[in-house]
Amino acid sequence: MPRGYLCLVLHAHLPFVRHPEHENFLEEKWLYEAITETYIPLIQVFERLIEDNVKFRVTLTLSPTLISMFTDPLLQERYVRHLEKLIELADKEEGRTYGGPFHETALMYKKRFHEAMFTFCDRYNRNLVTAFKNFQDQGRIEIITCAATHGYLPFMMIYPEAIKGQIKTAVDLHTRHLGRPPAGVWLPECAFAPGLDEILKECGLKFFFTDSHGVLYASHRPRFGIFAPIYCPSGVAAFGRDIESSKQVWSTQEGYPGDFDYREFYRDIGFDLGLDYIGPYIHPDGIRVHTGIKYYKITGKVDLSQKQPYNPRQADEKAALHAGNFMFNRQHQIYHLSNLMDRPPIIVAPYDAELFGHWWFEGPKWLDYLIRKTAFDQDVVEMATPSDYLRNFPCNQVATPCSSSWGNKGYHEVWLCGSNDWIYRHLHMASEMMISLASQHSNAGGLYRRALNQAARELLLAQSSDWAFIMSTGTMVEYAVKRTKNHLLNFFRLQKEIKGNCIDEGYLGNLEYRNNIFPDLDYSWYTNTNELPKAASL
Amino acid sequence: MNVLFPLLFLVVILAAAVIFLWPLIRSRSVKENEYENPSPPLFNEEFSEGLSLPPADLSAQQLQCLPEPELPHYYGIDRMVLLARDPHWLFAYWELTATKQDEFANHYGPEAWSATQPVLRVYDITGIDFNGKNALGYTDIHISESTDNWYVQVGEPDRSFCVDLGRMFPDGRFITLLRSNAVTTPRASLSDRLDEEWMWIEGLYRTIGKFQFGVGSPMIVEELAMRSAGLPLGISSPGFKQEKIE
Repeated sequence: MPRGYLCLVLHAHLPFVRHPEHENFLEEKWLYEAITETYIPLIQVFERLIEDNVKFRVTLTLSPTLISMFTDPLLQERYVRHLEKLIELADKEEGRTYGGPFHETALMYKKRFHEAMFTFCDRYNRNLVTAFKNFQDQGRIEIITCAATHGYLPFMMIYPEAIKGQIKTAVDLHTRHLGRPPAGVWLPECAFAPGLDEILKECGLKFFFTDSHGVLYASHRPRFGIFAPIYCPSGVAAFGRDIESSKQVWSTQEGYPGDFDYREFYRDIGFDLGLDYIGPYIHPDGIRVHTGIKYYKITGKVDLSQKQPYNPRQADEKAALHAGNFMFNRQHQIYHLSNLMDRPPIIVAPYDAELFGHWWFEGPKWLDYLIRKTAFDQDVVEMATPSDYLRNFPCNQVATPCSSSWGNKGYHEVWLCGSNDWIYRHLHMASEMMISLASQHSNAGGLYRRALNQAARELLLAQSSDWAFIMSTGTMVEYAVKRTKNHLLNFFRLQKEIKGNCIDEGYLGNLEYRNNIFPDLDYSWYTNTNELPKAASL
Repeated sequence: MNVLFPLLFLVVILAAAVIFLWPLIRSRSVKENEYENPSPPLFNEEFSEGLSLPPADLSAQQLQCLPEPELPHYYGIDRMVLLARDPHWLFAYWELTATKQDEFANHYGPEAWSATQPVLRVYDITGIDFNGKNALGYTDIHISESTDNWYVQVGEPDRSFCVDLGRMFPDGRFITLLRSNAVTTPRASLSDRLDEEWMWIEGLYRTIGKFQFGVGSPMIVEELAMRSAGLPLGISSPGFKQEKIE
């Protein structure tokens, strides 16, 4: 038996961005970049580990919006076109860099893009959910869900049905695509408020995560701090984030991703090269964007113009070194903790999946090394998912976690500040109207059912915490504001038409076409159950 | 006459819409000129903010094809919602209908509205089933007539609060118009409640203290500029408070 467990959690999420009405929509590129730079590299890491018969357990969130985009034929088609252009550019780059210091890196990109095309089209027939499902079915990763559109749940607490709408939609979609219901949930932004656990329980979920203080500040004071889960009064388990391991990856001073040998994110040929050459590969309107081809290393605290050429082999060695360092630190941590505890501690290390590959280019390599070293080089630490741990240690302390998030300052300020507080007035109103509509129209059929379901979709899309977050960061604000307003306005119009018995089928059809997320959603999930007799569910 | 009236009404609405929207349209065209020639950013800073401008501008252009939407500010429903932002701050927003205002005038006389001042009364209702009279204490905040939302600094973690919006007469009489939901501020430190069966392991907490959770600004938050060019990553910040566990 190992002395302790490492619970590595990757949270993969992007907001639902799909604009069939525009051929080239800039924000749609978020998905394409993340597929090439994060999701496919992670899939390739897991594939190689399984081929080499390496034992590992990783927890992965696939947010419902991400699953929806992965399985959307329009976005799949557009991604292939995006990748074809990238391959064309990489081919040109091979010639352009010949004989220079960037040639090796140029070849690396060319190879990666070709491999990405193979993985995406040939291996998984354009549907990356299949890839992750394979890893799940082989017992290597545990896939958990998130709220349907990553809604910020603590601010919905006054409308529990709105939270149910988010969670039930998520569990339903997850089960359809992954063949089994999720055991746990990644609360959007790690944001918890007491009472939320009751709804999770009702939806069949058994665990969630909080930031460190969510569990540390629980009441009663947890015996094992963040090194063992606690049970909420509802019986749902809460796992708290480890501080030391997250700092090693995230911190500016000590974090691995800032190593001077790693690739520099901000020198991209989309910005560096002349428009006559790069023009066909950036936005058709001449707007410069990241292509993903970057030739420099971080180098040091120097001006962007002073960066030195990237050396893939050196960076690879650093990734191995950092993986070793991370494992060494976990071993020490676990040695120390296991002497104090009467059971093996669990170290919970959650990260945004998009950190790996997209931002920290060498991240997937680091993960690969870390998993291999953990499997072969030592026997102090073993990887485990929350379900694994709860199966082995079902007896845990009961305590109520503290309301918290993993946002700046640890509470809810990022999603409730001067730049975004105006949205709650409208989101709450829409939630109240949705609940009232659902409660008044039980068993609606035909056009009414379609309109009610679409109203729920529009509400969900408006609730994405991503919009409030973007508003608070101050960049790309206009897009986030428009998305919030548009979905709310769509909702209010549908609500009015349903109430007034005058549904405009053309308008509804257009919304169904444009915002086609969650085809199996059932508006009755918003029904106010308090007002219904218990037998109503029979 | 009966036919003309709706038409006239429509004309008035249209005129109002044009007047209202004009500044928006104008400001947008000014913005377009600003970025007329998007030039490649100068890499004079490591994390150049210039990177963010072209994408932001593009979104604006793309979205101009969509109708300019505006949400109603009020929904004609009397309501007051209270949210707990962090251990020290609450946020309240509200909507007061003309009907409610009329009711007040009917009850207290036509001059009562102008003779009174709007006040937020913040009740401490920790551990009690609040009935309007049994609060542990309250604080009054005088606000202006047009205010419809407020950040309330309560400065007390792990306490429960409820807020009334009301009118205060010069003699100090307070009449409640709206009452919010109840909220509890999050805890900002370890719980005082200890579990005998699961006694906390002090040494283990000292380990955590040594690692100083709350490392200040983590990489991702400090480098927000990255977001302009990268994906809208979640925050993942371990930096919530600059304090150690005692």
